[in-house]
Amino acid sequence: MKIALVSTFVPFIYGGARNIVEWLQAMLEKEGHQVERIYLPQIDAPDLLFQQMTAFRWIDLSSADRVICFRPQAHLIQHPHKILWFIHHIRSFYDLWDNDLYRGCPDDEKHRGLRAALHDADTIALREAKHIFTNSRVVSDRLKHFNGVDSEVLYPPVFSSERFHTREYNDEIVCICRLEHHKRQHLLVDAMEFTKTPVRLRLCGSSSSSHYPDELERRIAELGVGDRVTLEYRWITEEEKADYFADCLATVYLPEDEDSYGYPSIEASHSAKAIITTTDSGGVLELVQDGINGFVTEPTAERLAEVMDKLYVDRELAKQMGRNALERLDEINISWSHVLRRLLA
Amino acid sequence: MWGGAEELSVNLQKNLIIAGHDSEVLRIPFQWEPASRISSQMLMVRALELWNVDKVIALKFPAFYIRHPDKTLWLLHQYRQAYDLYDAGQTNLPPGQEGDDLRALITNADNEAFAESKRIFTNSEVTRRRLKKYNDFDATVLLPPINDPELFAGGQFGDYIFAGGRVNGMKRQHLLLEALAHTSSNVRLIIAGPPDSPADGNQLREAVERLGLGDRVKLDLRFLPRETYAEYLINAAAVAYLPFDEDSLGYVAMEAATAGKALITTSDSGGILGLVKHRETGWVAKPAAASLADVMNAVFVDQALTRSYGRSARDLWNSFEITWPKTVESLLQ
Amino acid sequence: MKLLIFTPAVKTSAIGRMSCLVTHALVAQGHDVVIVRAEEKELLRRPSHNFGTRMIPWNDEKQVLDAAAQCDIAVYQVGDNFLYHEGCVSWLARLPGVVCLHDFFVGHMFYAWAQENMDAANSILKHWYGDNVVKSFFKYPDNAAFIEGTKDEAPLVEWITSQALGVITHSRWGTPRLIRSCAGPVHVVPLAYDAPGESTMTPDYEPNKFGRMKLLTIGHINRNKRVASVIRAIASSPLLKQNVVYRLVGSIDPDTALDLSALANGLRVNLVISGSVDDTELAIAVGETDVMSCLRWPSLEAASASAIEAMLYGKATVVTDTGFYGEIPDDCVEKISHEDEINELRTTLERLYSSPGARAAMGERARQWASSTYSADNYARQLVDTSIASQRLRPRVIAKAYFVRVMKQWGASDELLHAEETLGSLAVMS
Repeated sequence: MKIALVSTFVPFIYGGARNIVEWLQAMLEKEGHQVERIYLPQIDAPDLLFQQMTAFRWIDLSSADRVICFRPQAHLIQHPHKILWFIHHIRSFYDLWDNDLYRGCPDDEKHRGLRAALHDADTIALREAKHIFTNSRVVSDRLKHFNGVDSEVLYPPVFSSERFHTREYNDEIVCICRLEHHKRQHLLVDAMEFTKTPVRLRLCGSSSSSHYPDELERRIAELGVGDRVTLEYRWITEEEKADYFADCLATVYLPEDEDSYGYPSIEASHSAKAIITTTDSGGVLELVQDGINGFVTEPTAERLAEVMDKLYVDRELAKQMGRNALERLDEINISWSHVLRRLLA
Repeated sequence: MWGGAEELSVNLQKNLIIAGHDSEVLRIPFQWEPASRISSQMLMVRALELWNVDKVIALKFPAFYIRHPDKTLWLLHQYRQAYDLYDAGQTNLPPGQEGDDLRALITNADNEAFAESKRIFTNSEVTRRRLKKYNDFDATVLLPPINDPELFAGGQFGDYIFAGGRVNGMKRQHLLLEALAHTSSNVRLIIAGPPDSPADGNQLREAVERLGLGDRVKLDLRFLPRETYAEYLINAAAVAYLPFDEDSLGYVAMEAATAGKALITTSDSGGILGLVKHRETGWVAKPAAASLADVMNAVFVDQALTRSYGRSARDLWNSFEITWPKTVESLLQ
Repeated sequence: MKLLIFTPAVKTSAIGRMSCLVTHALVAQGHDVVIVRAEEKELLRRPSHNFGTRMIPWNDEKQVLDAAAQCDIAVYQVGDNFLYHEGCVSWLARLPGVVCLHDFFVGHMFYAWAQENMDAANSILKHWYGDNVVKSFFKYPDNAAFIEGTKDEAPLVEWITSQALGVITHSRWGTPRLIRSCAGPVHVVPLAYDAPGESTMTPDYEPNKFGRMKLLTIGHINRNKRVASVIRAIASSPLLKQNVVYRLVGSIDPDTALDLSALANGLRVNLVISGSVDDTELAIAVGETDVMSCLRWPSLEAASASAIEAMLYGKATVVTDTGFYGEIPDDCVEKISHEDEINELRTTLERLYSSPGARAAMGERARQWASSTYSADNYARQLVDTSIASQRLRPRVIAKAYFVRVMKQWGASDELLHAEETLGSLAVMS
């Protein structure tokens, strides 16, 4: 089949939204399909939204048998066989409208009109799709609530999962993701004040600025837990990541209210390691079941310390949870074969 | 759709990165059929919003309509169907008022895009001349370099003339076969490259059979792996490339010169005449079997001379300094 | 809500009066209003109605732009008079907003605007009505022929409403064209009105005083107010000829005055031509009359201020059964068919003369109906609702305007501009 993958992008900003497109392209080409990847630049500035959306309506991809659209507002594209793998709305006009910090425009008549117009246009474009997939239950619920459309959750797998393996279960709980405030590594540092076992913590990843990593360093020093915490503020290579996951006791991923479960939790699962998360982390809760493939605790230092200790003390538990984590991937169909089956149905 | 421009953009990106920059390729889908679509496609590009980009290099219509304060054009194509092809009656623009309106629209929009560009380069003299004639803008010619010059070193002076590149009516490989029928029997020919359509391939095969050239011609009509192609080229006695009125030099010619091979072309081939100087870097024949036959004979008559033409071709090519590092430097001025 | 209202404000403008009423109602409901006076330059200097809020002239570019940046919505009061509405036409193209359309025919305004914008005008005519209209539009021999030739074929309302984010108008009959040409909401709202000097209604009013029935027509006296027909109807009845005094109050052409006087004299009809008077005198005239004649042919306005006034005064009113008047309840006014105008007028006036009681009852019904219907408070609320609904359209309108701008910069021909595949049903913006 000739398949066009369409997404919006900001040049030179890489990450989750691009990975899903590029990994899918590789998998589709492996299956023998002809794939074209189209990235369209877009800015979410309120005054420029509709002229960009109009431009997207003029894009002709009729030479493709099928078109798959990802990041907003790529779903505005017209095609007789349009499939959406809907990652998120322009949230400032949807669920974040009531949040003054994130709205990005005043809550006045003009902008409320813009919001209504955007909802209308999105709904029309969404309805044109033959099938709508999302990357999480959270996003599906939002689509239903705001646009009245039904969608199927299609969990994004990680690329080349065979890179991940299991070697041992050492003394270290690792968290490998960007060091950012909303990823909440500071909660883990705080937890180390309350742990009673020699369990260790490793935080590694790059950051958008040194501000938060510096804050973490200060906190570690303040609490005097530097002997049990390793902070690596740098880009972690895929090999290093696979190694850390292969050897660690367990993993932790507790962002604040993120839509999707995040690749770190999948990578951890492929390495058969338990995942610690919190009740307010969002999409991760679709993956992690408390007591089965990890722990879902309240987002407090004390509770986190408790579960970290529990894993240190009970290696069997850690191993069992790790096995469950691996199984969970099959349970909720996180695999490329499933993705291809559904997208090409 | 994947063609010369796509190939060029990928190589440009690669070489920009080698030069230490961050580079991405933005491919904009463009549908020009039916012609009534064209306005909306132009507006579509114009409405795109770029940020986080320091510099834009645009290659084709309508991509160069994209707005950016630091935009350089390396013009490979205008929409020729509004310009020289329109004059030649080979256009998809409708006749009469509708077509005139579209031509005016395209010309005005093009001029706006050219005016707002910091610098304008073109990929060939022909493109430069057309830009001046139809839009009255000045540009500098910046020939696209070969992407893998290291493959075209070494080799020997073989017993065949090599004709590489795509096989179709415009490339006129069949003319070489017509000519071969009139050459002396020691002249051999290898034609290798992908036919645009089965008919194009068949035309050559039929000619070989009709003219009884089976023992002197090798046809390798397929998409060749790069190394195979290079092997053919560097072991040839001379390289023939004789398209009808092409804009640019042609990669075959550039590769041949890189390999130090004498070049055979015809007087109406277009851009390649910038590299082929008759009896200096090769031969410029008339586009007729007899004239070509003479030239093909001459390749083997005085091999030392042919070799010296090859060396001159290489020297001339090198003097153009068409390398990727130099090209990147020019584009980023 | 913050509203920027473009309107004539000069005292002689009935639309100005209505805007003033609505403005006060809006302010009472808690909204902020800034007025942009839309009259042509000379009239800007004349005294205005008392809006009680900030007022800026339409030709002060900077002030208008500043005010526009602050407001939630722009509102345009539009009627068929270029002298009063020049500013509206000028700004509507640049600043889309809600149009309150007072007339279902704006040919006169368009004609005047076209004088300085002939190319655009021809484009507009061609786009909405075709080549034939382009050929004939500017070539009519006189005003009557112009109205007759264009009111049904080319009323030019589309020129205005296609630029609007939403439309409010005041009766139903002309709305099909609006709905076809405006991408935003179209709402029918009864015109906001109150009777001038209502409180000074003459307390000593006596029906048929001295056995005479006073008949009154107010407003600018022109042909479509059917004065000649009324005179002929009176003349055709000995009863009426003897007992009816027909008074005309309002501006009148000297030639028209002469013609009508001559007609009345020749037919021995008692006609009194008062000319223009001030508000107080007008109120008194209406207060002391027995019957109002608000006949109209052709009927081009969306609502008639004079008919509403008559009803608010509780007066028996005679109207032509067409347009806005046709939509008034049958038991509140006397409706006359235009086809049999003079005959029906005669029988109606005779009936009205003979029964002051029935006349008063109908007048009272009319007064009650009118005062609850033509409420400024209701109009203000509906205006705000329509504005909110119109905001939904703004992003698309602005996006299309962007593309029109780019196409024009590229010298696009009209055909290219309107091509279905490109900008589709976008109106040509002047």
